[in-house]
Amino acid sequence: MEITPGKIKLDRELSELDKFAISFCKAINRLTPYVIVSGYVSILLGRTRGSEDIDMLIPEMLKNEWEDIHKALEKAGYECINAGVHESFSYLNDNIAVRFALKGKPIPNMEILLATNKIQRVALETSIAAIVGKDKIIISNLELQIAYKENVLKSPKDMEDARHLRQILGKAINMKKLKEYEVMLK
Amino acid sequence: MNKNQEQRMAFIDFWANYVRTHDDKEWSRLQNTVINQTPGMTAEQFLKMKGHQAKPVK
Repeated sequence: MEITPGKIKLDRELSELDKFAISFCKAINRLTPYVIVSGYVSILLGRTRGSEDIDMLIPEMLKNEWEDIHKALEKAGYECINAGVHESFSYLNDNIAVRFALKGKPIPNMEILLATNKIQRVALETSIAAIVGKDKIIISNLELQIAYKENVLKSPKDMEDARHLRQILGKAINMKKLKEYEVMLK
Repeated sequence: MNKNQEQRMAFIDFWANYVRTHDDKEWSRLQNTVINQTPGMTAEQFLKMKGHQAKPVK
């Protein structure tokens, strides 16, 4: 694994979760900016735990823009498992995640939210590329993930995810950036 | 931090060090034996487990 500012390169054996993440990100990347946040970031980088879902943030948008994305994802072989095309935008606007999975296979699924608050927008704006073999997934920068998990989420699982990321970053961790995020989150 | 949490954190450190010091293919092969075990369930069962309402009728 190579970690440089703005990019992580790894040549891992793909898990079922990775395959789903890569194919979904390819499909949505044509339609909108996005960033993957939370647990899957740690899992992609080696954390030994499973997950049924992956968290994704996308920018705020108009109803018709979202409906075009919803329809395009359906055309690409995915289905929204908790809302129809006409309900999904109101879910997003109410800060309820919409979940997309491969048709007929609800696990794993992509849990999508609009980036409506400052920290979510920062995650989108400061995202980094994870180059996985020949593919690319846009993920949250790791210092932001660590700060969010340690200062906001704080569950044992999140503290362990954060610790894993700290260890993986090692000396490459940007302490100045980490402190800035910690202040932002307080 | 209780003894159990200490042990869990010690394993996190051990494993992260393994990831950092071994080839990506090697650690990911081991990791996949854990993370590829996904439960089979319907969308309705999954949403119920997550505390979401079922998909509205279109």
